[in-house]
Amino acid sequence: MLRTGFQVAVILGHHGALPGLTHLLPRFNPASAFGSSTVTLVSRVCWEMTESKNYALPNASWGPDMLSLYHEFLEKTKTEGWVRLPSFRSNRDHIQGFKLPLKSSANSDKSDSRLFTRCIEREGQGYEYVIFFQPSERKSICLFQPGPYLEGAPGFAHGGSLAALIDETFSKTAYLSGEGLLTVNFNIRFKKLIPLGSLAVLNVNVEKIEDQKVYLSCVTQSRDQQTVYAKASGTFLQMQLEEDSSQH
Amino acid sequence: RLFSAEKVIHKDWALPNPSWSKDLKLLFDQFMKKCEDGSWKRLPSYQHRSTQISEDFKTYFLDKPLNNENKVSQIVQLFTRGFEDGLGFEYVIFSNNDEKRTVCLFQGGPYLQGVPGFLHGGAMATMIDTALGSCATIPGGAIMTANLNINFKRPVPLCSVVVINSQLDKLEGRKLFLSCNVRSVDEKTLYSEAT
Repeated sequence: MLRTGFQVAVILGHHGALPGLTHLLPRFNPASAFGSSTVTLVSRVCWEMTESKNYALPNASWGPDMLSLYHEFLEKTKTEGWVRLPSFRSNRDHIQGFKLPLKSSANSDKSDSRLFTRCIEREGQGYEYVIFFQPSERKSICLFQPGPYLEGAPGFAHGGSLAALIDETFSKTAYLSGEGLLTVNFNIRFKKLIPLGSLAVLNVNVEKIEDQKVYLSCVTQSRDQQTVYAKASGTFLQMQLEEDSSQH
Repeated sequence: RLFSAEKVIHKDWALPNPSWSKDLKLLFDQFMKKCEDGSWKRLPSYQHRSTQISEDFKTYFLDKPLNNENKVSQIVQLFTRGFEDGLGFEYVIFSNNDEKRTVCLFQGGPYLQGVPGFLHGGAMATMIDTALGSCATIPGGAIMTANLNINFKRPVPLCSVVVINSQLDKLEGRKLFLSCNVRSVDEKTLYSEAT
């Protein structure tokens, strides 16, 4: 644990205080018994000063609903301990200095690979989303506005696009809450279709952490909570990242 | 991305292109052979849905008419066919109507990454949904996913080829129950099972 503490100090020292985190540091955050505390994990994943473009920021394609809810949560990052997660083109950018304890084939180290939910570059055409995480309650909110390239049924978002974003939100939440890394099980019940260009709010909660697995649930609904679009649950396997000495 | 509108609408994407790996091409040829006696059919795949299917959908599934006041650009296209060659979903589905099953050959490109070096769980879910959907259309006609459950056994390396075998398990009124498994080309590795 000494080494972990040192890493936190190095990262925070290098990047200056991360917004929303400073008041968390003095408090003890008992996340999981698995390894690193939530504070360490959040600082490991949330790089504020980096060359990679942060996609979790408003742009011209965001509708008024999305913008106003975004600003509401931005306020909460200052007052209630919520953290706005940056979102980069590849998950590699999130874990700089670390690597997975998994063997992957040599040719998949391409620099042109992209995180699936950040695969469509043009503003407003594909996934527009931002995730806010609440460390003390182990829950997240994802604001999602699907663009026309995500179409499945005419005029509505493809069910798979929602499934992928729920999986992505699960994965970030699972990692920050307890180092959950790989999806083991994923279940989704579709209730209603999401019209393209409208705002869907994904409420993700960590139900429990047990047997090296993180269990999460998600309810996707409209902003006024009158329409439930889908309910999902997922299980993630806990895995610790290894230090990648080749990257330092 | 700048195609003429005509070409884009009529292009059949379920055919080999330079980004297809050797494994994928080999499997494609094997299944094309199976099509020769008529028991198997290759399903063509377009980027835009035909107007007939759109009309069917509106009749069966929409309670109230859509209001078309979105500000976003009107260039809509099917999610799984919106990528340049080799970067996203490269897939082709073969269907056996008598046995009520389908086989989907899928190669996930670099834009479908989740955990570095591996396919995103959600991209796999999208593909499984597509494969199961193709199987459900055989008896079902116009269909919509109600429930999807996936057990992931092993992560799929990015740019590798997997085979999704789907089948119809039972039919209860308006509900179709299907299942599928995702395997490596040599059938030695089971990546996931879904219903």
